[in-house]
Amino acid sequence: MDAQLSNVLQQQQKQKHNLLDNTQNQKGEEEIQLVGFIVGDEEYAIPILDIQEIIKPIEYTRIPSTPEYVLGAFNLRGNVIPLIDLRMKFSLPRKEADETTRYIVMRDGDNIAGFVIDKLTEAIRLKKSSIDPTPETLHKDQGMIYGIGKREKTIITILKVASLLQRDF
Amino acid sequence: MDDLREILEDFLIEAFELVEQIDQDLVELENNPEDLELLNRIFRVAHTVKGSSSFLNFDVLTRLTHHMEDVLNKARRDELKITPEVMDVILESVDMMKALLQCIKENSSDTECGIEIDDICNRFDAISQGKPLEALEESTETAEEKAPEPQPEPEEEPDYANMSDEEVEAEIQRLLEEKMKEKEAKKAKKKSAEPKKQAQKPAAAAPVKQTSSPAKADASAPKKVASTPEQTIRVEVKRLDHLMNLIGELVLGKNRLLKIYDDVEERYEGEKFLEELNQVVSSVSLVTTDLQIAVMKTRMLPVSKVFNKFPRLVRDLSRELNKEIELVTIGEDTELDKSIVEEIGDPLVHMIRNSCDHGIESPDEREAKGKPRKGTVKLKAYNEGNQIVIAIEDDGAGMDPEFLKMKAIEKGVITEREADQLSDKEAYALIFRPGFSTAAKVTGVSGRGVGMDVVKTNIEKLNGIIDIDSELGKGSVFKLKIPLTLAIMQSLLVSVQEEFFAIPLASVLETVRISMDEIYTIEGKNVLRLRNEILSLVRLSDMFGVEQVFDGGEHVYVVIIGLAESKLGIIVDGLVGQEEIVIKSMGDYLQGIEGIAGATIRGDGGVTLITDVAAMMKLAKEINVDLTQQTSLETVQKTKPEDFHLLIVDDSKTDRTIMKKSLAPLGVKLTEATNGVEALNMIKTGDINFDAVLIDIEMPQMDGYTLAAEIRKYSRYKNLPLLAVTSRVSKADRLRGIESGMTEYITKPYSAEYLMETVRKNINLPVMEVA
Repeated sequence: MDAQLSNVLQQQQKQKHNLLDNTQNQKGEEEIQLVGFIVGDEEYAIPILDIQEIIKPIEYTRIPSTPEYVLGAFNLRGNVIPLIDLRMKFSLPRKEADETTRYIVMRDGDNIAGFVIDKLTEAIRLKKSSIDPTPETLHKDQGMIYGIGKREKTIITILKVASLLQRDF
Repeated sequence: MDDLREILEDFLIEAFELVEQIDQDLVELENNPEDLELLNRIFRVAHTVKGSSSFLNFDVLTRLTHHMEDVLNKARRDELKITPEVMDVILESVDMMKALLQCIKENSSDTECGIEIDDICNRFDAISQGKPLEALEESTETAEEKAPEPQPEPEEEPDYANMSDEEVEAEIQRLLEEKMKEKEAKKAKKKSAEPKKQAQKPAAAAPVKQTSSPAKADASAPKKVASTPEQTIRVEVKRLDHLMNLIGELVLGKNRLLKIYDDVEERYEGEKFLEELNQVVSSVSLVTTDLQIAVMKTRMLPVSKVFNKFPRLVRDLSRELNKEIELVTIGEDTELDKSIVEEIGDPLVHMIRNSCDHGIESPDEREAKGKPRKGTVKLKAYNEGNQIVIAIEDDGAGMDPEFLKMKAIEKGVITEREADQLSDKEAYALIFRPGFSTAAKVTGVSGRGVGMDVVKTNIEKLNGIIDIDSELGKGSVFKLKIPLTLAIMQSLLVSVQEEFFAIPLASVLETVRISMDEIYTIEGKNVLRLRNEILSLVRLSDMFGVEQVFDGGEHVYVVIIGLAESKLGIIVDGLVGQEEIVIKSMGDYLQGIEGIAGATIRGDGGVTLITDVAAMMKLAKEINVDLTQQTSLETVQKTKPEDFHLLIVDDSKTDRTIMKKSLAPLGVKLTEATNGVEALNMIKTGDINFDAVLIDIEMPQMDGYTLAAEIRKYSRYKNLPLLAVTSRVSKADRLRGIESGMTEYITKPYSAEYLMETVRKNINLPVMEVA
């Protein structure tokens, strides 16, 4: 079962990567689906296919010898999953969990982690053509940003899940 | 094509098994050259491999085994004596056979690896022709010319390539029959030598003869076969691993169930359904435990899997080192988890090499000391509690602690000062330090100072302990103590401030409770004197950077952990208990965090970290916190009544007002909560540090007893005064109050003075003139 499941997931991933990659070359009219959320004052988004699930805050256990933004690990139906505070990862002050706080569990292959965000906004459909590559000046952000999505009134930062899940300590 | 693949796989499995057996038999044969049965057995292996490999067109392997077979056949018929020189050639050929099989396994062909067998074939030829081996170098050329096969009795090996289909069928049939016969022959071994010979000879002889003789020889054998059919099946390891994982989940579920039962039992004491629930819970827990043991057993392999290699190893070593060494193995049936059996081979090889090289003296030296010329290395395996012990004993020179210390200083492994403080046992342990070797000269066997260091790391990886004992001139004993399994283990849960950690129980030697006065400082290090040992001490909270939220007090618990040969005392705030835990990976993201071996999920669904004892030993060395001079938590000195803050928990507004009025003269701050849940939340957030809590017992949602018990679960509120204020006056109620953690029990109605006095006493409010 598990093997099948991961197979399907992998295929999805592949498709999605293909989709994303294609944008660079050809300005097709394909759409990608994103989930938008707020961390601090800004709105971010990640591809919906990278999300395993979204849960309400639950108890977690601190893990020593890790950077501050690694809050710890929590139990997700029998699996031990790391928990990362995106506010702290983005060098914002820490905030107590409240009504709107959620954990987004993201997956990249076998790598999996939960990310604390302040608030979910909405599911977004964006045309590939309306996603611009990261501006040169932002490149130093460890490549966490995949691109900038242009919407009618606002712009939205699309994060790269693979690099979010990259351990950098 | 698939059929062939399947046959090939079967062939490989069988061949590897046979080769494993052959090694041991060969060494035995050297000691017992007359043992015909052994010879036959070895011959059969060569023959079987030859038969199958020729069928599968592995020409190189066929040729090699063919030559082996020749020599062995001669030995079998007493035309050749097995001398150590002959044995060397045979053993070498067995090694080559292994290499070829490995090559086939990897490439499905025996020519890819470029293993040269010409030389060894020539030597075999020389042996079978009775030429001395020394003359071989010169005779190689001639021997090659004489090839192919100048054997006196050449084996009639059918030409498979030119066979018709029917003939191939017949040949397969023949091979199968042979195999059957061999099996039967094995079974019939207990019978007299006569039928045995008959049963085996046909296997080697031409196919024509076969039809008649085996039937006779084995006439009585089939009955035996029928009565004891082999009751085993091969199962993929992956399936067993999966099963083990599932059991792990079940164990976690069981733990959770037990925990819930405990809670329920507390709340509904005396209810009838509890009895029934108890029965179900205990039977589930019992079955789970049994199931776990049963599955663990399926993964168990006898240590003989590893031990089998060693007679050959010791034999080779003794020839290489010019020593006479006998290896005695005891307890090969002792079983260990597969994963551990796989890991333990290398360390044992190093340890045995060490014993042979450094332990056992040369025969002359031994004689001079009045010992038998032949040294003995004993390899023992046995169970001890939840562990398996593998002991390597030698009756050699033993170790001299002073000499070891001297060497260690010389090599810069330790300083002179350190050396003075070492006990004998610690001195023995020096041999496990990297860069340490006492061998005067580097031999091919040991003396490079890498081996023993690796042993230690490998054993530590398995959560094992190494225990060394030695007596100068008499010999040494190395004991490896290893847990039976890795996936599920017993652990000691400890609490540090508000965090919990699981320490593998296998590494816990003992726990003691000491007062801070018993901690001494030697050279800036904190130590504890426990009986006659001096232990370094370190606080778990310093190691893992646990936030200090409350003061531990005058007494602390020390968990003494031991790993390989070193010991360490770890200071914790509390011992929670022993629990069976299932090791869960923390994923790629949290892999390899120093000091943490993994995580587990406890009965309450929370994640608890499992400490890595080996890493803790290392971490401890880097920590330099003087425990005796610790700055106690900066508690703000409270003097004025306004500094104190009380929490009143009562669902009745009237009662709260009465309490407030009564306490007003004290001048302390008061906060109200209307039920247990609200109060608990206020306490949990820790926004206000309450100095005492007044609790009513009868409340909706959460009663006072439960609230008290919940509060006490937080170690930082262990000493928070909880005052029950209630109209329940029976003795049973009072008792229950104490049990749940109440400090005082005040019954309604009370006088304002009494309440004030009790509160004042509990929060240590300085007595002041009350207006």
